[in-house]
Amino acid sequence: MKKYLKNTWDALWTIFIGMKVTWKHLFIPSVTIQYPDEHRPIPDRARNRLYVNIDDCIGCMQCQRACPVDCIDIKTVKALPTDELGLTSKGTKKALWVTQFNIDFAKCMYCQLCVFPCPTECITMTKVFEFSEYEREKLLYNFSNLTLSEVKEKEENYAKFMEKKAAEKAAAAKAKAAAEAKAKQESEKKDNDNKPSSEEKDS
Amino acid sequence: MYDLLTNLLGNQIVAYVIAASLPLIFVLTFVLFAVLAERKVSAHMQDRLGPMRVGWHGIIQTLADMLKLLQKEDIVPEGADRPLFNLAPLLTFLGTYAAFAAIPFAGIYVGSSTAIGIYYITAVSGLVVAGLLLAGWASDNKYSLYGAMRTAAQIVSYEIPTAIAILTMVMVSGTLSLMKISDMQTAHFWNWWILGGPETGIVKFLLIPFMIITFLIYYISSLAEVNRTPFDLPEAESELVSGYHTEYSGMKFAFFFLAEYANMFAVSAIAVTLFLGGFHSPIGYLGHSLGIDWLIPVEQFFWFAFKGTALVFVQMWLRWTLPRVRVDQLMVICWKYLIPYAVVNLIIVGIITLL
Amino acid sequence: MELYDIIFYLIALTVVVSAAIVVGSKNIVRAAYSLLFTFLGVAGIYILLGADFIGVTQLMVYVGGILILLLFGIMLTNKVYSVDIRRENSYIIPSIVIVGIFAAFLIFVMTETNWVTADPTFPNTTVFELGKTLLVHYSIIFEILAIVLLIALIGAATLARNDNKER
Repeated sequence: MKKYLKNTWDALWTIFIGMKVTWKHLFIPSVTIQYPDEHRPIPDRARNRLYVNIDDCIGCMQCQRACPVDCIDIKTVKALPTDELGLTSKGTKKALWVTQFNIDFAKCMYCQLCVFPCPTECITMTKVFEFSEYEREKLLYNFSNLTLSEVKEKEENYAKFMEKKAAEKAAAAKAKAAAEAKAKQESEKKDNDNKPSSEEKDS
Repeated sequence: MYDLLTNLLGNQIVAYVIAASLPLIFVLTFVLFAVLAERKVSAHMQDRLGPMRVGWHGIIQTLADMLKLLQKEDIVPEGADRPLFNLAPLLTFLGTYAAFAAIPFAGIYVGSSTAIGIYYITAVSGLVVAGLLLAGWASDNKYSLYGAMRTAAQIVSYEIPTAIAILTMVMVSGTLSLMKISDMQTAHFWNWWILGGPETGIVKFLLIPFMIITFLIYYISSLAEVNRTPFDLPEAESELVSGYHTEYSGMKFAFFFLAEYANMFAVSAIAVTLFLGGFHSPIGYLGHSLGIDWLIPVEQFFWFAFKGTALVFVQMWLRWTLPRVRVDQLMVICWKYLIPYAVVNLIIVGIITLL
Repeated sequence: MELYDIIFYLIALTVVVSAAIVVGSKNIVRAAYSLLFTFLGVAGIYILLGADFIGVTQLMVYVGGILILLLFGIMLTNKVYSVDIRRENSYIIPSIVIVGIFAAFLIFVMTETNWVTADPTFPNTTVFELGKTLLVHYSIIFEILAIVLLIALIGAATLARNDNKER
């Protein structure tokens, strides 16, 4: 009987204690934040979306080689000697048109391995982490600042340049060949004259 | 009330229809805000903020939810008994809404000031059990059936302490009419039955502790009757995936929701009427002191809604304080604690009233 | 009294139709739920006749108690997930004959009896008189009935009890 009454009392009393606790919590300011409106500070070394400062990129493809999942796809075209590409912020001379700098963030695993090899520090981690998309294709980011027509132009220029160069080279080679042929004829003549010397050499 | 409406509208049938739908307007508005309040109270008790995006501090969140529910596809399971499946939400809401017919909201606003009001309310709450049992059976889902069985067992068990607590009040007040019980507790809060009622002298002071016990017994068992935590076993999400309304979607689910929240207010309203002075103001009426007659019913309605909502708030408060009890604990609480206390209390109060 | 008549016929229709479903339905759960509407209708008729206490008691006892018990019985004893919860209507012709004879007898009695018309004014409430009658004039019978029910309850509990000592 005593236990019975004590149980009843305990039940009621503990309920009131619990209610006191919840009542206090009713007035505690919320510990959560309204996420899309407010953000938590992101840690300094957080690894999020990559950013490429394409003005600094020299197209060395170090990052592409470093990437463990092959999500970086770079294409470059050699610049003509007449093109003025400017310098990177570190003072390195750029020699390549970066016609394509694709990073597929659907594949990227945010390991930061591409950041360290970059000689000009142009590929960096940003603090942006909310970039979900409805289509996977939209996660393919192209950082190159050349338009398609520009890319085509550069490629054609380079092709022309190469053709020209090849033509020049061919011409040069022809000229050289002709010169060589001439030289040969001359040397043959000389050979006949200097036969003993060659014999000397043989012996 | 009917005379007033008949005089106003000139037609008896229209007056009846209007009188019958007035509580519905109140219930719908109440549910709209109670659902939001539940979410807000739960959020703040867990140091969260709750819905914040629809309207200022999410004030019209429930309206948005309602629109969503209205648009939802009405799914009936393949194995379900279609007519019974469709009948269940209606029956459940019918049982709940029927109780509102006898609840006095204000001096002039009561569906039926019948002389057997409280007995009628106890009787029609049986319809809710039938509706829930039907929902569980017609869903053709074992979890729903378990939920329905638990509901029926729980409500049928807890009807006993509820009935005995109500019986105590009926014995003290000497009437079954809720209107008369309300009118006994007029004027000031020390006339409330929980504080001894309009009795005088030693009887009043002897009654107070036993009235508080009666109130506690009624309140605890009414919690079980409306399936609120800590007695929410029938719709235990973690065990039974919401029990009897697992298979319901769209508007039918909304009906169960409506019935649940309306029921919460109904039991609170009965507690208010029996113990906390009904629709009467605890501090006197402004209408009397200012001499404005039409203000009095408005004040009465305000006090009734205020007290009822306060008790609903306590239900929510308890929900976020206490964990769910086990089935055996549920039965122990009912049969080994509440019923003996209620019976002993009934006898003691009977002896006191004889003094 | 027009509204009164309309309500009476509506309720009577509910009672008759749902009772027909109780008899005719092959699905026993549907039959049980039709019985619910029959009980509701009968309670409504009681209330229309001014016997509010009896009407609500009808609700309390039949809907809140007996029907729930019945449903519990159906749902616990049958295989719920099979279509076994059906029953056959057998002996249709003999039952129609017997019911017909009984109905004819009742109609004969109803038409032939000299009915005493009651006072058409309804009592405002029956509770007070009923309570006085039950607890003053027939208090001994009332108490004995209560004790009989208590004995039935205790007996059922004793029979249902699983006594481990005897095993």
